[in-house]
Amino acid sequence: MTDPHHILTLTTLLGALGMWLMLPRGTARGRGVGILLASIALGLGASQVPRLGDWLADSVFLILAATTVVSAAAAVTFRNPLYCAIWFGQSLVGTAGLFFFTGAQFLAVATVVVYAGAILVTFLFVLMLAQPEGKAPYDRVSWEALVSAVTGMVIVGVLSMTIGRVFSPAVPPLHPLVPPTAEVLAAGILTPQHVARLGGELFGRHLIAVEVVGVLFLVALVGAAAIVAHQKTD
Amino acid sequence: MPNEIALLDNYLIVGALLFGIGMIGFLSRRNMIVMFLSLEIMLQGVSISLVAWSRFHNDFGGQMLVIFIIAVAACEAALALAIVLTLFARRGKLDVVDWQLLREANQPLFQEEALPETPAEQEEPLPHLAPAGVEPHVSTEETDYRPGV
Repeated sequence: MTDPHHILTLTTLLGALGMWLMLPRGTARGRGVGILLASIALGLGASQVPRLGDWLADSVFLILAATTVVSAAAAVTFRNPLYCAIWFGQSLVGTAGLFFFTGAQFLAVATVVVYAGAILVTFLFVLMLAQPEGKAPYDRVSWEALVSAVTGMVIVGVLSMTIGRVFSPAVPPLHPLVPPTAEVLAAGILTPQHVARLGGELFGRHLIAVEVVGVLFLVALVGAAAIVAHQKTD
Repeated sequence: MPNEIALLDNYLIVGALLFGIGMIGFLSRRNMIVMFLSLEIMLQGVSISLVAWSRFHNDFGGQMLVIFIIAVAACEAALALAIVLTLFARRGKLDVVDWQLLREANQPLFQEEALPETPAEQEEPLPHLAPAGVEPHVSTEETDYRPGV
């Protein structure tokens, strides 16, 4: 059982079973077992990923990744949509931490400001407006919980095995990955003038895309107003 | 400096996990708002992968794509919430099963099964803040001048 194939397959199955038991199915029976199985799967998976080579970096990364993934799973499985939205917010904070960890400082800030600050608050606003009493009967039963849990987790398992090159470790890759050196990174993506370089790139090479996004914002604004106004005249 | 290939692999795996979890939620949940949250979780997974590739290739292109993802997600949230509010005004529920008339022609009807009412299944109340502080003292002088207070 020490073969990585077997461990990853077991992880996938445990994760699918755990997600199924955690999803709302009309009864609360088995949720604890589901949480236990999903945690075991997460631990097994974490034991299989390659190490970064530095215990401090490893522990920071693992804490951030666990925060992100666990909160995302909670956001998907909680019955009360209010709690779903709040767990999603925590998952966003974990994502922002992961962005910081890899040197994407502006994106980390933008994720917190735009996603957690604007989009999530709008969600909560609509939720409070539409469903102020919290849980509804349709939040307690899902469509085809087992099928979707197995589908999602099998996709994750296959992707992880491909990423970890478990399928064919003996066959050399067509284009071997050449990691960048520290000097190259320090002059490029990890430069101290991060935001200046990013802004230069955004308003230089991608200027037309920025203009197009501005038009897209205008169209979305007009469209949203039109949808809501149309409803009023009905 | 951490091992760059290991960093890339780890980030891609976290991105794949977020994508899969979001997909499970989108396929199985029935509340339209929660479906939308799941969609955003899938977008987060893609963003993490893009940032990891951006670092590995030492190129700002991946981070640019994530900026545009955030912008498009904001547009998408505005439009989707407008649509959700319209649908809610029609039916009074956030349930997608109410709109299964829009399903494809050969798909079976979703049958709502009766929920078993167990005592463990009762609503747990949302937490409340404990009342704190004291009632402010309003002097009679002030109420005389401002009778509305």
